[in-house]
Amino acid sequence: MKIVVIGGSGLIGTKVVARLRQEGHQVIAASPATGINTLTGEGLAEALQNTDIVIDLANSPSFEDKAVMEFFQTSGRNLLAAEINAGVKHHLALSIVGVDIMQNLGYMRAKKAQEDLIVQSGVPYTIIRSTQFFEFLAGIANQATEGNTVHLSDVSFQPIAAEDVAAFVTGFALGTPLNGRVEIAGPERFELFDVVARYLRHTNDPRKVEPNGKPEYFGGGISHTSLVPAGEASLGALNFESWWSRQAQPVA
Amino acid sequence: MKKTSDDKSNLSLQQQGEMLLALSDDITRIRDKNDLITLFKKRIKGIFYFTHTIVTLIDYKDETYTPFLLDNDGSPIRNHTRYKEMVHAHFSLNEPFIQAVLKSEGPISFFLADIMDQPLSPPFLRVNYEKGVREILMTCLMKEGRPMGFVHIYTDKPDSFTPAFRSMIKAMAPQLSSAVSNIIKNEELQNKEGEKSFLLEFSNNIAAVRTKEDLALTVRAALGKLRPRNGFVIRRINEDNATMSPYVYELTNKPDPKILRALENSAYPISDGLQDRVLNSNIPMLFNVDREISRGIRSAYLQYWKTLGFTDIVGIRLRNGETNLGILFLDIDEINIPLLQGVCSQISIAMANIMANDMVTRKQDEQAFLLDFSSDITQARTRQDLQDAIFKVLDRTIHTKLAMLRVIDDDGIHLSPYMYDSSLFANTPEHFEKMVHGEVTVHQPHTAQVLASSDGVMFNIEEELKSGSDYAKLWSSTGLKNVYGLPLRVGDKNIGTIWLLANRLSQLILKGICAQIAVAISNIQANEKLLAYKKQLEVENDYLKEQIKTIYNFSEIIGNGEEMQKVYRLMSLVADSTSTVLVLGETGTGKELIARAIHNASPRKDKLMVKVNCAAMPANLIESELFGHERGAFTGAIERRIGKFELANNSSIFLDEIGELPLEAQAKLLRVIQERELERLGGKQLIKLNVRLIAATNRNLEEEVRAGRFRADLYFRLNVFPILLPPLRDRAADIEPLTQFFVQKYSRNAGRKIKKVTPRLLQQLRSYTWPGNVRELEHLVERSILLATDGILDEVYIPPSTDASRQNAAILLNRSLDEVERDYIIETLKRCAGKISGTGSAAEVLKVPGNTLHSKMKKLGIEKRDYVV
Ligand SMILES: NC(=O)c1ccc[n+]([C@@H]2O[C@H](COP(=O)([O-])OP(=O)(O)OC[C@H]3O[C@@H](n4cnc5c(N)ncnc54)[C@H](OP(=O)(O)O)[C@@H]3O)[C@@H](O)[C@H]2O)c1
Repeated sequence: MKIVVIGGSGLIGTKVVARLRQEGHQVIAASPATGINTLTGEGLAEALQNTDIVIDLANSPSFEDKAVMEFFQTSGRNLLAAEINAGVKHHLALSIVGVDIMQNLGYMRAKKAQEDLIVQSGVPYTIIRSTQFFEFLAGIANQATEGNTVHLSDVSFQPIAAEDVAAFVTGFALGTPLNGRVEIAGPERFELFDVVARYLRHTNDPRKVEPNGKPEYFGGGISHTSLVPAGEASLGALNFESWWSRQAQPVA
Repeated sequence: MKKTSDDKSNLSLQQQGEMLLALSDDITRIRDKNDLITLFKKRIKGIFYFTHTIVTLIDYKDETYTPFLLDNDGSPIRNHTRYKEMVHAHFSLNEPFIQAVLKSEGPISFFLADIMDQPLSPPFLRVNYEKGVREILMTCLMKEGRPMGFVHIYTDKPDSFTPAFRSMIKAMAPQLSSAVSNIIKNEELQNKEGEKSFLLEFSNNIAAVRTKEDLALTVRAALGKLRPRNGFVIRRINEDNATMSPYVYELTNKPDPKILRALENSAYPISDGLQDRVLNSNIPMLFNVDREISRGIRSAYLQYWKTLGFTDIVGIRLRNGETNLGILFLDIDEINIPLLQGVCSQISIAMANIMANDMVTRKQDEQAFLLDFSSDITQARTRQDLQDAIFKVLDRTIHTKLAMLRVIDDDGIHLSPYMYDSSLFANTPEHFEKMVHGEVTVHQPHTAQVLASSDGVMFNIEEELKSGSDYAKLWSSTGLKNVYGLPLRVGDKNIGTIWLLANRLSQLILKGICAQIAVAISNIQANEKLLAYKKQLEVENDYLKEQIKTIYNFSEIIGNGEEMQKVYRLMSLVADSTSTVLVLGETGTGKELIARAIHNASPRKDKLMVKVNCAAMPANLIESELFGHERGAFTGAIERRIGKFELANNSSIFLDEIGELPLEAQAKLLRVIQERELERLGGKQLIKLNVRLIAATNRNLEEEVRAGRFRADLYFRLNVFPILLPPLRDRAADIEPLTQFFVQKYSRNAGRKIKKVTPRLLQQLRSYTWPGNVRELEHLVERSILLATDGILDEVYIPPSTDASRQNAAILLNRSLDEVERDYIIETLKRCAGKISGTGSAAEVLKVPGNTLHSKMKKLGIEKRDYVV
């Protein structure tokens, strides 16, 4: 089968591309670097010719509210239009658990807009809503750091390994379109500050984590359970420790 | 499977070094693919043996490699059936053969026979083998530490890849890599340059585009360079904003002209699932015709495209600012977005300009024309002018003729034909004539619909024929499809209908034209009415003046003598009624005065009495004078004229000198009196009349009848109530008051004070026979006043020999003195109303004492009945 992975050079994208190639599919890893740009439409139509499945794992280079909305809307429109033209049979996208209850956050509004475009497009689809990736912990720590202290909320947090995400994405992509959403998450639930503290310890990071008691995420108010699956969810195989043990150990 | 050759080198190290140096120079000079091929074919082939070389490049996005540079002349596989496929194929990097190449430190060679049938091996190995190639030497090209492609060297002779060959290729590999990189970069640059100059040229050409035709030429030339397989189509969004139609196109396979016409004239709904998709997409859309059809897009053009051989098409919206103008459909499957968007934005600008231009000129033309029409129409004084203007405007704007223009009559019910172009119905003139003069009312179904509509109604002639309408039959004789009926309206008042026949009409312009026509017609109508009123007013005015004059002259009838008393009694008897009155009397006895007095004493006194002097008019005009005529009723009848009878409606008409009326007019007059209605000359309409007739004559009508000069039947009609006016000679008693009255009147006029009229003069006046009656007396007095001196009037100039006296003289000829005396006394008695003695008596006139007269009368046998009338 011919599969195009948009954002095929990203964190999840590379893993998904590798898994699919492993299974013998003809895979195009699409990104601006390979001449395929969903924002400008460049290379899109050619890449999508005779394509069966499109997996959208692209992410906006800028997280600024307006830019991120522009990215997901324009990319989504262009991509879905091209898919309709090419007769693509399955569109899979990776979204975020709790996206619809955190609409006060610009990034979540943009992801929701992406989801809505997919649902309205008429292209058979599957939307996977994932919790945050373990690989994202460092970023969360950095954005909450003041001096030597990391101020973080105690909201529930259930991170998942990128490898598990890639496995789910591959599995759902090759399955029949659900024309609906599924949720995936890691096997363990933490308080946000706690798992970040754990991560910093493992990396021998000298910063101290301070719970601030505020239910928030990236500066925006959320509920305690916004970031974790509310109902049934598929859980990844790797917990924090098994994930960590697979990471290349940083040079101390 | 691998074969690392350790053959002896045929070249010394030094030779190798020199050769490499020379090659290296050549390699650095490589700019394009040709240079590289030449290097292999000319330079390297001169040193080592091999059959051909190709270069492939890695595509990391799908982990494949694909041919980049082919040695077209040397390749033995060019006639292989799978050659084309090989040229475009992407070969996977994930198989043992190429992986071995990637892992190898330097050039690595394989016997094709060893590897070509391995399960994942690329097919080009076998294809080469089948064309006699036996061995392949693969060398990796690197870029920034990562493999970028491969140099494939093929040979049909075993052991061609000597160690020297290998080491030389290995040594060349880095330079070859950068050469290939340079070629790629160069190609990119050239492409960019090419695009830029293409866009620049296009932009220059487009800037000169003024019309749709210019645009078509420019776009055809430019898009031709993109080499669309079957052509292109530019569609434009129609004015309805709901459909699109072809604007400019070029088709390589010329379709059936019928299909082409159908395509050209079609308006495809925008929201068909494809056109709307293109319009909504901000990037060019590549779609497949078959897939769109199977997706269920029903638009007919897809089927046509399919038959024309279109498979994959790029659709790009043409938009100016935020407004979509149309779509460019281009039969290519390779999308160069910047180029296409550049082209489309230029086309869009040109299109927007042309469209704006077209609209402006169209508007201007239309306005200019309507303006012309408007001035033509306002200058139209007559129906003919109006008709010329209307025919012209219809012909020029909508290329049709005026079938009919009907105007609603004063009754608000009937519609009369006002204007039409009968040439439209040249096929069936009789039918048309019949329909034109047929009765049409506002209730006639077609008319009612049109009058009730706001902007008119279109009737399909074929549909109407089914209902069996006679009009539809007439319409269908023109061969045209539709009839457009439009209301002519001024404000919200319907004034008529206009009917046009055509296959198709622009409603918009029609509306403007109709509005103008309506105003023009209502102006002309108003004008006509105004003229008629004005005429009537003028005529009335004349009568008023005349009446004032008359009133001034005869504010009362002078004279209370017995003869007149009889007249007064008759007048008061008849005045109230509507009876026809015949006033008889000698000339100058004041018949008109009596007629006026009758009218003024009648209930019609508030209206003017209309007077016609039947003797004062040429016989040929009297009828039209009396009864009026329509325009064109006879030569010289330029305008419609209202007759005196019509003018006298609800009033009285006074026909003076009725005895002079020609026989023909008598017949008509009789009819009018009998029917109490009349028809204008040349007219078709009957006008009801309520006119009181007063006729007068100084002729003896009975004699006229006997002589055949007057119709007996008319005479009987007129002679219903005769009033005979006495001659002045029979009104001796009235001589004095009449004289006094005229003296007063004319002395005032002449500015002379006349204090006294002498009895001698009065006596003289009473003795005169007055053949000219009162009028003669009036003139006599008028003249005498000028001659009077001292304020005393005692002399008048009485003509010595009037007609009457000459007549009398003649009578005298053969008579005895007694006879003459007897007649004369009777005559005098009559004049003096039978008064024998006293003032104003016959004795006074005859200047004999009363007794003498008595005895003379006895002697001559004059009895009372002889002189009492
Ligand atoms: N981070 C999380 O915790 C989390 C949780 C749930 C869902 N997700 C979603 O998961 C998806 C993938 O995330 P990720 O962390 O794997 O992203 P990532 O590592 O940042 O990779 C983004 C990819 O998008 C490509 N890209 C950027 N702009 C593009 C364009 N204009 N056209 C085509 N490709 C473009 C990038 O290509 P280049 O490499 O050439 O720039 C790259 O391959 C995102 O949609 C994200 O919202 C993330």
